[in-house]
Amino acid sequence: MIKINNIHKSYGEKNNQFEVLKGISLSIEEGDFVVLLGASGSGKSTLLNVVSGLEKPDSGEVFYNNENITVLSDKQLTEFRKKNIGFIFQQYYLLPNLNVEKNVKMGADLTNNKEYEKIIEAVGLKEKRLKYPHELSGGEQQRVCVARALAKKPAVLFLDEPTGALDEETGRLVLDYICSLQKKLNFTIIMVTHNANIADMAKTVIRMNSGRIVSTHQNQIQKSAYEIGW
Amino acid sequence: MIVGIKDIFKMLGIIIISACAVFVCTLFLNYNIDLKNIEGLINTASMQVFYDAQIMTGKMVSTLSGGCLLLTSVVMLLFYIKHYIDTHRKELGILKAMGYSNLKIAGSFWVFGISILLGTSLGYICAYCIMPEFYSVQNEDKLLPEVIVHFQPVLLICLVVLPSLVFAFLSVVYSCIKLEIPVMELLRGKSIQKVRTAKSINDMPFLKELKKSTVRQRKSLVFFIAFATFCYAAMVQMSFSMKELASVMMAVMIFSIGIILAFVTLFLAITTVVKSNMKTLAMMQVFGYSRDECRKAVLSGYRKIAYIGFAIGTIYQYVLLKIAVYVIFRDIDSVPDYNFDIPAFIITLISFVILYELIMYWYSRKISKVSVKEIMLNTEL
Repeated sequence: MIKINNIHKSYGEKNNQFEVLKGISLSIEEGDFVVLLGASGSGKSTLLNVVSGLEKPDSGEVFYNNENITVLSDKQLTEFRKKNIGFIFQQYYLLPNLNVEKNVKMGADLTNNKEYEKIIEAVGLKEKRLKYPHELSGGEQQRVCVARALAKKPAVLFLDEPTGALDEETGRLVLDYICSLQKKLNFTIIMVTHNANIADMAKTVIRMNSGRIVSTHQNQIQKSAYEIGW
Repeated sequence: MIVGIKDIFKMLGIIIISACAVFVCTLFLNYNIDLKNIEGLINTASMQVFYDAQIMTGKMVSTLSGGCLLLTSVVMLLFYIKHYIDTHRKELGILKAMGYSNLKIAGSFWVFGISILLGTSLGYICAYCIMPEFYSVQNEDKLLPEVIVHFQPVLLICLVVLPSLVFAFLSVVYSCIKLEIPVMELLRGKSIQKVRTAKSINDMPFLKELKKSTVRQRKSLVFFIAFATFCYAAMVQMSFSMKELASVMMAVMIFSIGIILAFVTLFLAITTVVKSNMKTLAMMQVFGYSRDECRKAVLSGYRKIAYIGFAIGTIYQYVLLKIAVYVIFRDIDSVPDYNFDIPAFIITLISFVILYELIMYWYSRKISKVSVKEIMLNTEL
């Protein structure tokens, strides 16, 4: 379980500070599918960075099963991310000189996962495992990111606008892969998006505006990637 | 103008290398030309032998050092131009999309020739500043009639003006070739990586694979790192070993050039390695790789190359001094036999290991300060 208590985060110099997160508190259950919804500048990506341990808040706490990660040193945070966290970004950030298989190994080696080939197969890239990122389409690159993130068997998967750079068809395909793998592996998903339709896939939808949570609701029915609007 | 004057100052490496090349060549060639003026005054066999040895030394030093440094300057120039195009792909793509021809865009790359002009002028001026001292040391033995410094305009043309023009021309031609990329590819910003044909072993750990691919990624950097350690090994050992072959001034000169070349090249190469791998480092940190693992993956692949460069430099200086003794000074009785200088080798090796590891430590500290978020927001992979 992830518990977030009164998180505050500001950017800028002393005289020109801009508060991005203004006292965020929430709880996320294990295995939940959470969508953070909000317009650009609402603070959702900053919250994602803070919860995932990429950034430290100015004040407040983030607990993972009673472990407060905001007090960890950089080294401890790295170790924490290694054990618990997976990331998928909008811009893919694949390593250009390594092929699909080696990019996925980047995640797999951290947890000594020898079965990473099954994940490559699961995201439909078995035939392209020896291709390099520039030889793949955007959708295929994002699927490599999915495989790379899942190969380290994360307890929590963070996704920052994962379909932002994809067309509708590819976007649905990638989301479908993520959902089906979540059902199989039962990890927690925390996804940031500005696309309100994607929220229909989530179990928990958190709406943010100007650094505050404006509403939280649970979907009674989680739609599949092919049932939502785009 | 696409390439600005400020860009030439980023080519510090070329400026320093060309300065060293022209410094050495000007010093020895000017001396050789002035030496020719006293040819008529040579009237004994021993004088003739010494005269021939001096002429040969001048030719050998300027050909070997000048040639070697010239080649390095060319490689460095081509590397800079490629790097410039790679890092300005979007801007160049916009210009091409607007209708600018490759030649029109490449035309502005001539300014890179100015960096050579700066370097060669600096080397030329420094050579003339030190020349009276150099001549007096050469005249000290009084084995030949006194050689007097004369300004040789032909050297100004051949070592300063012509190289600058040639490098400016080369910059335009090379950039024109390198701009033969489809507009859309340039606008996408990312440079397309060539597919590695080398077979990768399936179960090779990721970190090992990354280490190998980082080295394979930019072969020019491999050359520069090897060149830097080559310079250090060759020139430092040579300056220690040639006590009986040349003056202290010459030894200090060689030592200084070696140190400057080695460190400037090494710093430039490693800085480029770290900068071009910032996104990879950030991504590794995001995934939970420790800083030590990040450092090893990016930097430790070059260690072997550095030691190979050192070994080649050691052999090079040994062969060069052997040739000097057995070919150039073979008829001069006072020149002793030359054997491999083990103490000089040990001192150079130990100092090299310490300095190399200190530099790597300094860079690993830099890597540990990489801010994940800043990199993600500012640069592209």
